[in-house]
Amino acid sequence: MKTVLTLLLVVASAAWTTHSFAADITLAPPTHVSAEDVPNDIGTQVLIKWHASPDEENAGTRSLDGYAIYRKIAQTSEGLESIGEAGADASELGFPANFDFEDTQPIGSVSYGRTKFVDENVEAGNSYLYAVAATGPGGTYSPISVASSPVTAEMQWFNGGKFWFLIITAVISFVIIAFVVIAKKGGEIRVRKIAGLEAVSEAVGRATEMGKPVLFVPGILDINDIQTVAGITVLSNVAKTSARYDAKLRVPTARSLVMTTARETVEAAYLGEGRPDAYNENDIYYLTDEQFGYTAGVQGVMVRERPAACFYMGAFYAESLILAETANSIGSIQIAGTAMPSQLPFFVAACDYTLIGEEFFAASAYLSNDPEQLGSLKGQDIGKIMAAGLLVVGCVLATIAVTSESRTAQIAELYIKDNILGADGLVPNADKVAQIDAELDAQAQQPHAGGGGGS
Amino acid sequence: MPRPATRTKAVDHLMSDITAIDPEKIKVILATDCGSTTTKAILIQFVDGAYRQTHRGEAPTTVEKPFADVTMGVINSVTEIGELAGRRLVGDDGRIISPATETEGCDIYISTSSAGGGLQMMVAGVIAEMTAASAKRAALGAGSIVMDVIAANDGRRPHDQIQRIRDLRPDMILISGGTDGGTTDKVVQIAELVAPAKPQPRFGSDYEMPIIYAGNKDARDAVSSVFDEGGFDLQIVDNLRPVLERENLSPARDKIHDIFLEHVMAQAPGYDKLMGWTGAPIMPTPGAVGDILQTVARLQGINVVGVDIGGATTDVFSVFDETFNRTVSANLGMSYSISNVCAEATMPNVLRWVPFDMDERELRNHVKNKMIRPTTIPQTKEALMFEQAVAREALRLAYKQHKEFATTLKGVQQQRTVGDTFSQETGGMTIVNNMKLDLLVASGGVLSHAPRMHQTAMLLIDAFEPEGVTMLAKDSIFMMPHLGVLASVHPKAAEQVFDRDCLIYLGTCVCAKGSPKPGKLCFKYELSGSLTDSGEIAGGELKLIEMGMDDRAKIILTPARGIDLGAGPGKRVEKEVRGGTVGLILDGRGRSLSLPEDRATCQATVQGWLDSLDVYAEEKEAVAV
Repeated sequence: MKTVLTLLLVVASAAWTTHSFAADITLAPPTHVSAEDVPNDIGTQVLIKWHASPDEENAGTRSLDGYAIYRKIAQTSEGLESIGEAGADASELGFPANFDFEDTQPIGSVSYGRTKFVDENVEAGNSYLYAVAATGPGGTYSPISVASSPVTAEMQWFNGGKFWFLIITAVISFVIIAFVVIAKKGGEIRVRKIAGLEAVSEAVGRATEMGKPVLFVPGILDINDIQTVAGITVLSNVAKTSARYDAKLRVPTARSLVMTTARETVEAAYLGEGRPDAYNENDIYYLTDEQFGYTAGVQGVMVRERPAACFYMGAFYAESLILAETANSIGSIQIAGTAMPSQLPFFVAACDYTLIGEEFFAASAYLSNDPEQLGSLKGQDIGKIMAAGLLVVGCVLATIAVTSESRTAQIAELYIKDNILGADGLVPNADKVAQIDAELDAQAQQPHAGGGGGS
Repeated sequence: MPRPATRTKAVDHLMSDITAIDPEKIKVILATDCGSTTTKAILIQFVDGAYRQTHRGEAPTTVEKPFADVTMGVINSVTEIGELAGRRLVGDDGRIISPATETEGCDIYISTSSAGGGLQMMVAGVIAEMTAASAKRAALGAGSIVMDVIAANDGRRPHDQIQRIRDLRPDMILISGGTDGGTTDKVVQIAELVAPAKPQPRFGSDYEMPIIYAGNKDARDAVSSVFDEGGFDLQIVDNLRPVLERENLSPARDKIHDIFLEHVMAQAPGYDKLMGWTGAPIMPTPGAVGDILQTVARLQGINVVGVDIGGATTDVFSVFDETFNRTVSANLGMSYSISNVCAEATMPNVLRWVPFDMDERELRNHVKNKMIRPTTIPQTKEALMFEQAVAREALRLAYKQHKEFATTLKGVQQQRTVGDTFSQETGGMTIVNNMKLDLLVASGGVLSHAPRMHQTAMLLIDAFEPEGVTMLAKDSIFMMPHLGVLASVHPKAAEQVFDRDCLIYLGTCVCAKGSPKPGKLCFKYELSGSLTDSGEIAGGELKLIEMGMDDRAKIILTPARGIDLGAGPGKRVEKEVRGGTVGLILDGRGRSLSLPEDRATCQATVQGWLDSLDVYAEEKEAVAV
C-alpha cells in the first residue's frame, strides 16, 4: 500500500513537473531569425523573417499554432539605451535566457506557415532587437530565437519603388508647363470642336429670335460637387451670351448655396458684358432640395414660359429624362452636360447636344480660351494618351505572355505591372524574374501530352 | 403707310407679257448685259432644231455723262450684232424691232444691268447668324451687293450702328428679325435704328428710301409706326424666316427685284426707256447668273459652283442639292483689289505658286501698278505667272468665304439618337461639298482670257480643290447673265445655249481626297469608250490625258487604301467623263492640297505640276499683249 502511495506521488509529481516545463519549452524554436528595415518608407516599418520551426512540419499532429514576435529597443535615435518593451531588466540589451513568456507581451503574432512579419510600429532612428518563438495551444512556447543583430528603422526621402511614378509625373508636368508656355507665347493650342459648347450662342440666339427665355438647370447636387462647379462655369458663358443678345435667363436651383453662387456668376457676366441693368437676381431662384419637387417645379417653368433653349449642366439622376423630354415637347434646343454615366444615354437621346464627362470638365478651358487652362487641358490629354497607350501595350504583352510563353513578354508584362504601375522601382525584382524562369523551366521539362504517335 | 406686298404696275405689265409669250414661238432672242464699262449683246437663234448663240456685239456703256442714256450703248452693241448677222435689229425710230420676221427684228429682247455699281443694299436682322444671315442670303441671291449687316449681336453700340446706317447710301434696306410669333421688341429696336438715321438713297434725291420688312408678322404694325414719319417707302412681305427651321426667301427676293426696277433702274439715265423695250424685267447681273446656274443645276440634276472674278470683287455662286447661295467678296479682285488680295493671302502664300525666285520689291510695284492701272495686262511670262498666282489666292479666299456663308440654318432643333453620342454636329455646317460637285464654271478676265485653257483649268483645280470627278468649264464670253434672264422666259432655250455655246468645256478632273504618300500608288484608272487607256497615278502626281471636246469615256477608278474618289475611302468608282479643250486631268496630290514649306522644294514641286499639265508651254498663241 505504501509502495503504491509512493508510486502515485512520484507519478503525480512527475506529471506536475512535466506540465510545468511543457508550458515553457515543448516546441522547437524557429531558426535564422533576421530583421531588416523596410525600404522606401518613412522609417516606421521593420521586416522580421525566420525559418519555420521543425515542428511545423507536423502541425497537423503536433500542437503548433504560430509564432510570437518580441522586440526590444536596442538604442534610441538620441543614442540612449533602452529597457525595451519586453519588460526585461533595464541594464540588459539582449533577451535573457530565462525569458518569461507569461509577463512579456509579444508585439505581434502570425499563424503557422508564415515566416514573415512586418512591425509597423517602430520609430525612425531607433534600433530594435527582435526575437521569435513558436507558440502552441495551451500557452506552450518554444525557446525564443533571437535575431543575430539589431536593426535600425530608417526613413527614405525617395520611394525608389515608385520611381516610375516620379518619371510619369515629371513628364506630364513638363508637358503641361510646355503647353502653358506655348499658349502664353501665342502658340496655337488646338482643342477639337465641342459641338455642345459651340452651340451655346446658337441656342441663346434661338431664344432671342423667338422672344422666349433661356432656362439653365445646374443639377440637383450642392456646390461642393465638382459637376455643379463645372456647370456654374458654363452658366457664366451662357449668361454672357444672354447679356450680349439681351435674352432672358432663368436659373431655378435645388440648393441655396448654388443659387447664391449662380447669382454672383450671372451678375459678374452681365457686368462684364456692360449690361448690369439687364441683370435681375429674381431670375435665379431656389425651388426646393427635394429631387422630384424640384423636377416638378422646373417642368412647370418649362410648360408655362416655354423656353426656347434649355441647358442642363451638373449632376443629374432620375430627373434627367423627365426634364429633357418635357423640354423636347415644347421645341427647345437642349444642351446637357454631366459626368453621370447612367444619365448620359437619356440626355444624348433627348437633347440636341450633350457634353460627355471630360468634355463637361473641359468646358471652362474651352470657353475661356485662357492659355493656362488650355495648356493644362492639353497636357492632361497627353497624360491620358500615355495611360491609354500603356494600357494597350500591357494588354498586348499579357496576351502574348499567356499564349506564347515568351520569357521576354512575361518579363515585360511583369515590368509594366510591378515596376511602372507597381512599387518595384526601376529594376525588375530578381526573385520574381527567377520565379518566371523557374516556371518556364518547369514547363519546358514537362513531357508534351498527346504528342506521341503509336508504333 | 406701308404698301402691301404686291407688284407695281410696271412689273405687273412685264410679268403679264412674260406669261403671254409662247416659248414655242420664240425663235430669235436678243439679250444685253449693261455693265459698268461695256454693254454686251448676244443674239440667240433657233438653228437646226436647237437654240444657239449665233452672234455677239459689244459697245461702251453710255450710262454716264456726256451720254447719260443707257440705251445708246445698247443700240450700238445691237447694231454691231445686226451687221454681223445680216439682220436688221434696230428700227428707224431707234427702237429694237420686235417681233421678228424672216430678215429683221427679234421675238424677245431681254437685259441685265450692273451699271452704276449694280444693286447695293443694307440688311438687318436680330441675330447675325440667323435672321440677319437669311436676309443677307436673300439680298445676295437677288443679285445685290450687301454693304453692311446690322444685327442686335453685331457688337456695335446703337449710336455706332446709326452712324453706319447714315454713312451708307444703299439703294434699299431689307429688315428681318424674329420668327412669326417671336420677338417683337428687338425687331422694333432695329427699325428704331434705321428710322432716325434717315439714310439717303444713292440715286435721286426725290425718292423715298425703300425699306422691305420681311420679319415677324406680329411686329408689322409696330414697325410701320416707326417709319410713319415719312422719308421711307416701307413695303411688307412675308417673313423670310417664319420659323427658325425654314427660310422663305422668295417673297423678299421678288420684292428686291421689283424695287430694283421701280426705284433704282428708274433713277438711272435711260433705264425707263430700256424697261419699255424689254420683254422681261431687267435683272441685276449677278442675280441673273445665279438664276441660270440654278436652272441648269435643276434641269441636269447636278451640283454647280460658278465663279466670276473681276477687278474689284469676286462672286461665287453655288447650287448644292438645289440650294442656291451666292457670295460677293468685295475686296478680292485682280485690279482694284489686287493689293488687298496680297495683303490678305500674304505674299509668301502667293509666291508659293510661282516656280522661280522673284524680287519682292518688284512684285509690290507690279501689284500697285495693277491697282492704279487696272487695264494693264501681263507683258512677260513671269508677270503672267505671278498674276495667276494672285488669282489662285483670290479664288481660294473667295471660295473659303463662300463655304463659311453657304451653311445649313442655325438655331435649328436637332433630332438625336443614342447612336449620335460621339458624332454630334452643330448647325450652320457648310453645305458646300467638293466631293459632290459636278460642274465648276469659271468666268472673269483672268480665267476667261488666260492665254492657254490649261492655265484656267490649273487655276480652278488649285484654288477650288475639287474632289472626285468634276467637270471644268469656262464662260466663253460672259453669257451667263443673258441666259439667266432668258431662263425666266424660256428655260429650255437657256439650257441649250448654256450647254452648247456659253460653256467651253475644259475637260474633267479626277482628284483624290486623302493623303497619298509621295511616289506610292494613289489610284488606278481604266478608260474605255472614245479613249482606251489604263494606268496608275502616284501620290503627288498630276497627269493629263488628251480628250477632245466630243470625246466621252467610261472611267473605272480604283483608289488606294484611305483615298476617296467619291464612293468612300478605298472604294471603286465608275463614271462617265467628257473631254474638253484641255482633256482629262488626273490629280494624285491629295486633299487638302499642301505645298512644301521649303522654298526650293516648293518651286520644284510646282514646276513639276505645271510641266505635267503643260500649263505654260511656249506656243504661237503665247502671252496676250
